[in-house]
Amino acid sequence: MTQDQTAVDGDWHRVHPASPFVRGWVALAAIVYFFGRDTFERALQGRGTIGDNFNERTLWLLAGGALVLLLALGSFVLSWYFTRYQLAEGYVRVNTGFLFKQQRQARLDRVQAIDIVQPLLARIFGLAELKFEVADAGHSAVRLSYLKLAQAKQLRATILGRAAGIADGSETVEVPEAPEQVVLYLPPGRLVGSLILSEQSFFIVLSAIASVMISVLTESRAFILYLIPAILGLGTAYWRSFNKGYNFTAAISPDGIRLRYGLLDTQAQTVPPGRIQAVKVTQPPLWRILGWYRIHVNVAGYGEHHRSEAEHRTMLLPVGRKFEVMMMLSLVLPDPGITDPERVFTAGLTGLDSDAGFITTPRRAWILSPLGWRRNGFLATDTALLLRSGRWWRKLVVVPHQRTQSMALHQGPLARLFGVADLVLHTTPGPVAPRLIQAATDEAVGLFDQQAARARAARKLQSSEQWLAQLPPAALPVLPAPPNTVSVQHVPNQEEPHHG
Amino acid sequence: MHTAAIDPPGIHWLRVSPRYVTVRLVEWAFGNVLMVAVFSLPLLFVQLGWWKWPPLWFAIAVPAAFLLLALWRLVLIPRQVRAIGYAERDDDLLIRRGIFFQRTMVVPYGRMQYVDVAVGPVERLLGLCTLKLHTAAAGTNAHLPGLPAAEGARLREQLSARGEARLAGL
Repeated sequence: MTQDQTAVDGDWHRVHPASPFVRGWVALAAIVYFFGRDTFERALQGRGTIGDNFNERTLWLLAGGALVLLLALGSFVLSWYFTRYQLAEGYVRVNTGFLFKQQRQARLDRVQAIDIVQPLLARIFGLAELKFEVADAGHSAVRLSYLKLAQAKQLRATILGRAAGIADGSETVEVPEAPEQVVLYLPPGRLVGSLILSEQSFFIVLSAIASVMISVLTESRAFILYLIPAILGLGTAYWRSFNKGYNFTAAISPDGIRLRYGLLDTQAQTVPPGRIQAVKVTQPPLWRILGWYRIHVNVAGYGEHHRSEAEHRTMLLPVGRKFEVMMMLSLVLPDPGITDPERVFTAGLTGLDSDAGFITTPRRAWILSPLGWRRNGFLATDTALLLRSGRWWRKLVVVPHQRTQSMALHQGPLARLFGVADLVLHTTPGPVAPRLIQAATDEAVGLFDQQAARARAARKLQSSEQWLAQLPPAALPVLPAPPNTVSVQHVPNQEEPHHG
Repeated sequence: MHTAAIDPPGIHWLRVSPRYVTVRLVEWAFGNVLMVAVFSLPLLFVQLGWWKWPPLWFAIAVPAAFLLLALWRLVLIPRQVRAIGYAERDDDLLIRRGIFFQRTMVVPYGRMQYVDVAVGPVERLLGLCTLKLHTAAAGTNAHLPGLPAAEGARLREQLSARGEARLAGL
């Protein structure tokens, strides 16, 4: 068994032997329960396992149960035995299956994100699952479950080191983990506050008022009963958000942005630099009271946001104040391409009209969005396009030029009448759908043309997928020191050379 | 030659084949004739005296409305086909379509992941094909229908070659 900590190049490794049981414990428990129920009940009633009315049926049942259990265990052991992985020559390879064999290999420098996930049971045993994401919309290219936590971390460091282009081709594979600097910690109190003030709470209050009104008007109490499933559902939704958002920590390392969160199940995501395709900062109306925002991102490997798993993975910041938003934006976009990012992003978050150079919907088209026309606007910097919208539900979308896939101008008859057009930027699947709403036609067409040229130029600059191989060391993201931050800790070892 | 305000200036648009109108007509017939027929059934039943409920005027009005809508769509088809255009630029492909709801799209060659050429039964009879471009974004819904088969093949080769030359990561 090759369970040693050092991953030597080209060696095949197996996952931890306990992993099939951690994965399949529910099935095992079900089998044991189903076939052993009778015996258990006897034992509980103090009547000895072999009772007076012991008959052949019970024996057959027990024998059948044992057989099924053995088969299940056998398949577990076989599946474990035949699951092997290897890291060599810039590829990660995984072989699985014994009847239907599958061999899969993924190029390391195509990595879009690496997650280390610990479900509760795995966490109890000190195990972790490693997910390696490439850009294929939501299916993990490589899932290794389960490894020892330290081993998973080591593997992640190795993969990221190789993908970054620093430990290339050599036989020494022991890449130390890149040092990280914690930049943000989310206190649980604020998480609870954000859930209380979230949109769903708003609608709950509305529907509660409505249901009380209805039951008063119809003078029936039975109506309340119908709400019970709804309340249960909402309870689970709140619990999920709390469970996932608890202990949210963001850190920056040369390998990219690291996010860690979770109460019972914990998850640690690493998104290498340049893998974030689009960013969205939103503010629900009630959050305005406390000046909170949340940030979602599109990462090619995470896929569609309406899958519940991806919903939390695309959250870059569940709730944060403005300086935290600025900090996260500076991590995502180390070079904002403007001299005064603070002012521009502030204008993007809260501004109206042509603050900081935003170009808004022309006055003639105000009737198309009476509330939002002063806010709907765009600003193109040297490196990214900023799209802002929403008067009540404030929204700011940032798309780096080199991440734009394709673009389309849309214009309906009404928009043509008012001389406006929409510009839609296409990006990888995710929660962010960048769309410039109701810009003046000539502005939109101009932007369409310039944006194509800018995206072209930006693509030419970025030639390699290996982010550390192409950058001078000084180009590591430099953090603007945010003023008076309680939750920010600075760990001074960031500048050390981190890879041997 | 139909050019609208949202088209970038100075583009020489290439049109798709006028034979594509036939494809659209067949599609139109399948969809709309069937729908009008189904919505005419109540009228038939009322006339035959099987049904009492829909008053006669209503039984007439519903299929008549659908018929009008279908005819309107029919009238639009040739213009819609004429409005489809594409232009190969140095670094990207432009595709436009629509009269009322116009859309102009730019797909950089370096962003193309793959190119499909699809041929349906009616298209095959007419020697046409549909070109589909795929990027990493699901929103890139770039169809170019009604291309003559030879032009489709040429464009596919051209796009693949240019895509390879300008290939960029995500």
